[in-house]
Amino acid sequence: MERPIAYDKLAREDRFVRMRARDVAELKVSQGLPPFPDLSTHDSMRERVHGILVGELQAMEGAGRTVCDFPDAPWEFTLDMARQVWDESRHVETYLGLLEHLGGRLGEFPETTILWRCACAEDAAARVAGVNRGLEGLACDVFNQLIHIAGKIGDPILEQSVDYVLADEITHVRMGSRWLNELTRGEPERRRKAIEFQETIDERFNLGGTRQDGQHDVVPISIAKEARKLAGFTDEEIERLIKSTQRSQVY
Amino acid sequence: MLRALGGWIALTPELPAKLLFGRHVWDCAQHADLWGKRLPELRAPAQQSEPANLRMVKFMDLLESAEGPRQTVERVAGVYRVLKPHLVTVYAHHLANANPVYEPPTRRILERCVEEERRHAAAGAMVLARLTRDDAARERQKTWEQQLLAQLGEAGGVTGDGATPLIDAAVLAVSPHAVKQDLVDVPPDFDPAVLEPELAAAVAAYGAALESGQLAAESLVEPSARDAVLAEHDRFGDRVRRCRVVALAAVGRHRLVKVRLDGARMVGYVQLRFVRTDAGWRIGAAELVRMEPVDVAPAL
Repeated sequence: MERPIAYDKLAREDRFVRMRARDVAELKVSQGLPPFPDLSTHDSMRERVHGILVGELQAMEGAGRTVCDFPDAPWEFTLDMARQVWDESRHVETYLGLLEHLGGRLGEFPETTILWRCACAEDAAARVAGVNRGLEGLACDVFNQLIHIAGKIGDPILEQSVDYVLADEITHVRMGSRWLNELTRGEPERRRKAIEFQETIDERFNLGGTRQDGQHDVVPISIAKEARKLAGFTDEEIERLIKSTQRSQVY
Repeated sequence: MLRALGGWIALTPELPAKLLFGRHVWDCAQHADLWGKRLPELRAPAQQSEPANLRMVKFMDLLESAEGPRQTVERVAGVYRVLKPHLVTVYAHHLANANPVYEPPTRRILERCVEEERRHAAAGAMVLARLTRDDAARERQKTWEQQLLAQLGEAGGVTGDGATPLIDAAVLAVSPHAVKQDLVDVPPDFDPAVLEPELAAAVAAYGAALESGQLAAESLVEPSARDAVLAEHDRFGDRVRRCRVVALAAVGRHRLVKVRLDGARMVGYVQLRFVRTDAGWRIGAAELVRMEPVDVAPAL
């Protein structure tokens, strides 16, 4: 089997429209819209849920590639990644149901592949740092806020479904922290590069100041400090993330 | 098999098959883990697997070689119609002969693996039936299965001793109810009726203009985008015989319409960005996102 594969080999049914994240954001801004759906309307909730759905799809594909691409990695690592594939496949099912619940349609919004590209890092340590800690950390922020807003608008289906998914995401971040340490034990340079990769991803997914420290209903994406602590992020790491959001004002 | 299924998820366009693989990767990992942990109890190194013989390696190489975007039928057939049914057969045979007094640890693993692999195989067969609705696809499936079975037979099966039949249909039966947990309900295929009427009319006019070779004369394209849109269509390089909508997405008030263009030699996919103007929907941008020869481009 080809290992690893080029990121443009990601396969999709025809019903998906693929666009660069930057182009989507620019097109929205040109229409006076926020670059990222802000959960202020039913339509923006649906768009956010659609975005999460394709994110889960790409997370499943990325974890699957990690199972395939690193046959020489420790067996326990492969087991954790295989578990993650299964979790992500269940998340796809959950979000397909939620999209239907919100009256949405698969393919209703364009898919960006920024998440998948991050999952194509050549080093396993960089993948777990970038995907499990960077992107699944972002998922903790996004899901935590979605749960809060679903509770506020009285949508128990959305609230409870996302709460179950959040529990898995917290587990995935923990897996990432464990494997970042174990895969780079005795290799400080490899560890430095993996963490640097994660920080690039954190920076990119601050989404031009969209992710911030603040109340759920005040900021577009609120940093989920408690969920992040549960997932094993240190206070220092959370502080560093908050600081990085303060210098990401341009998309 | 675990690594092949994991790697194929990203390479497989069809959602039912993609999610089927996603569902089963963890079960396969747990089976491998159970066997790997049992090995040292039988005085062999833990978590170390080795093929029965080189012909078995060839079989796995052949099975894993179906990596192309249009080879989902081969991927599903290889794993779910050949390898998994073979494993169920071998496990069931082993279980029938494993001593209930001395070998309960092995028997417990076998019982679990038989049950789950049987369920997987049945779920895979259901997905495969959806992928092989036409004669050509069914023929491809049959040919591939025969090729794999021949190679597996030469290897003497996964154990290399040829002690059991390759596949024993009598041990594969499973209730449809049990299989439900392995399948994800996927939304129906794209329906062009979701296009609002005015947009549908504009897309129909675009399709007619392409088919008659008159796109350049059409007022459907925004003047500022005209040259770029025409140049993008020139890249297709084939006479359009048929144009149909395969996807619709929204970015604010703009609509992204993906159309499939069928030519004599090529099939192309163009993403059009429609903008609503005072004169109605107009094309503001176009991008040819994919092209492939006619004979390898079934609709997905």
